Amino acid sequence: MIDRRKFLTTVALGTASAAFLSACGQSSSSGQAGTADKPVTITYTWWGNDDRAERTRKAIALFESKNPDIKVNGNFSDFAGYWQKRATEAAGGGLPDVMQWDLSYLRDYGQRNQLLDLGTVKINTDAFEKSLLPSGQIRGKTYGIPTSTNAFAVYYDPAKLASLGIAEPDGSWNYKEFNAFLAEVGAKGNGTLFGGTDYTGIWWNFNIWLRQNNIKAFTDEGKLGFSKDDLKKWWNLTADLRGTGAIVGEDKATQLLPKSPFGSNVTATEVTWDNFMAGYLADSGAKELKLVPVPSDDQDNLGLFLKPSMLMVASAKTKYKDAAARFIDFMVNDPEVGQIFKTSRGVPASKTQRDGTTFEGTDKLVVDYEKSIEKYLKDAPEPPIVGFGTLESTFKRVTQDLNYGKLTVDGAVDAWFKEAEDLIKQNA
Amino acid sequence: MTQSPTLSRRTASAPSQPRKSRRRGADARAGYTFLLPWLLGFIALTVGPMISSLYLSFTNYNLFDAPKWIGFDNYATLFQDERFLQSVGVTLQYVVFGTPLKLAAALAIAMLLNSKRKGQGFYRSAFYAPSLIGASVSIAIVWKAMFGDSGPVDQGLSFFGINLGGWVGNPNMTMGMMILLTVWQFGAPMVIFLAGLKQIPTDLYEAASMDGAGPVRKFLNITWPMLSPVIFFNLLMETIHAFQIFASAYIISNGEGGPAGSTLFYTLYLYLRGFSDFRMGYASAMAWLLVIVVGIITLIFFKTSKSWVHYSGDAK
Repeated sequence: MIDRRKFLTTVALGTASAAFLSACGQSSSSGQAGTADKPVTITYTWWGNDDRAERTRKAIALFESKNPDIKVNGNFSDFAGYWQKRATEAAGGGLPDVMQWDLSYLRDYGQRNQLLDLGTVKINTDAFEKSLLPSGQIRGKTYGIPTSTNAFAVYYDPAKLASLGIAEPDGSWNYKEFNAFLAEVGAKGNGTLFGGTDYTGIWWNFNIWLRQNNIKAFTDEGKLGFSKDDLKKWWNLTADLRGTGAIVGEDKATQLLPKSPFGSNVTATEVTWDNFMAGYLADSGAKELKLVPVPSDDQDNLGLFLKPSMLMVASAKTKYKDAAARFIDFMVNDPEVGQIFKTSRGVPASKTQRDGTTFEGTDKLVVDYEKSIEKYLKDAPEPPIVGFGTLESTFKRVTQDLNYGKLTVDGAVDAWFKEAEDLIKQNA
Repeated sequence: MTQSPTLSRRTASAPSQPRKSRRRGADARAGYTFLLPWLLGFIALTVGPMISSLYLSFTNYNLFDAPKWIGFDNYATLFQDERFLQSVGVTLQYVVFGTPLKLAAALAIAMLLNSKRKGQGFYRSAFYAPSLIGASVSIAIVWKAMFGDSGPVDQGLSFFGINLGGWVGNPNMTMGMMILLTVWQFGAPMVIFLAGLKQIPTDLYEAASMDGAGPVRKFLNITWPMLSPVIFFNLLMETIHAFQIFASAYIISNGEGGPAGSTLFYTLYLYLRGFSDFRMGYASAMAWLLVIVVGIITLIFFKTSKSWVHYSGDAK
């Protein structure tokens, strides 16, 4: 039987020590600034492949050596898993202090007060193009600072084309010519090398096509700016290519994950952001990859634009605002960080960082590509709506079902529209 | 809570009446005190969240803003959601085919391991081992590699002239792969079967042998009825367990339920709706529907069990 007095003493002691311990925790965690002897630790998370992880680790080491009062705890995952993790953390109030961010999710978290207003802390944005900064702002508050810009492009591997005896493209092509090119690669590739992935599965590609046809993706009221017929036309563009050598099958592509088919040397081309260059080179081991503009049926309107390839954001709940701000400032402005990342995050957005970086070889190709399309560049697209991340991933998923033959184009259009309309209603 | 009557019965021999009741109260207090850590955890971590999820299932809740009451809307939209229906189909397929196969494997191995043979202890551990690691993340990754293009399974099959290609990317093969993964983890029900088999008196088999019964006859007339309570227990537990499959599907499909939705299990879709699409109210409604359906299935199992489960001591 429990002795009443002993029991009470134990409980009292236990409670007291627990209170004492939590008091200790309190005093250390409420401290905003660290010192070299007792640095504060901030957490930083990003998405990307091993190549980016390696570069980020170097940048963090550099930051820590220059700022001995701050330690940075890094953590990364692939893009799809990244957002599920952030949602879980946000729900529990435990977002990392600093995060790499994507434009698609800025509204979801910014409008819902999960991100720190970076206008309230000290980050130097003097060296940024004034036209680029608004992409990180919502209703007058700055939630993200762009690290760099990227543009859409068609990648190809010149060595692979040469081995098939196919001439290198110059990028002045319409969709019919581009399809014919993919089909030729597929035919000569003979089941081991495919033309590309289904380019109609990428939302941004569709967005560019809409711009080429002078259609807005979203209206100012946050509704869809295009019709079912537009989307039907889009998905029908590659209808004849699906299931042929022009497009790599989903069954193959799925198994290559987390690598892309292009990075795995299964396809000769890929249509995507130009900052993927470093990642593709590292993944595929190719000696050289080249970039040309996306196809357009109107050669005067390529629909291209510069988009912040990624942004740096901080959690609204971070205890270390100053440390977080200093880390963000360092990541976007420091010339040495530019030297580490080159164009793997995109072309540095800050002029200080851009000028401090020497671009050679393939990195120069990316910079040159963005220069070469300068005359075609138009304003960045309207800021995506809340829940856009879901629409983007649904777009990809539905196209995968198309390629598996589980959906017809009409069915795919209906499925996507239903999801989109549900979502818009949900967030209205 | 069930402990207090036992405690009081134990102390019933205490000498005088007033002392007895005092002791009883003290014992109950001590019992509850010892139970407290578990009870607090149960209330704070299980009952609390369940009640709040029941509330959330009637709301439009995006994780960040305050939930908005919408009544039964979530439940109503469920049945017009094609992906939801797909996830129900996928899960039912898995439960209906996976569970019996797993139990059959478990019972077969348990019977093999029940015979007296040298090194039986080693075999028992060896066969149980997959279940220890089976639920882990690493095994799902290994599984994915094994069933990929030119993985060991693909190569092994092509040796026999069967060319199926990688299973991981083929929507028609992924279910088979997932079922194989669960069947391979037969260890837990196997151990329970083994314990059950040991309870069957050997003289029953001896008597049957004298009467000239063969192995099939012995199985049908002795093993099956004698083991039926254990079979029932395993069937119930494994069925409930199968409805909850998540981790392996999440890993094998990169958290997307692909290819073409063929591994979009119920809980995976629930997770995607909740944490990818921020539709926590909808996800909560799905969770409660699952609780209700599993509850009904359990009830049906218990009702039908009367006709085929024999407990010792029952009138024959």
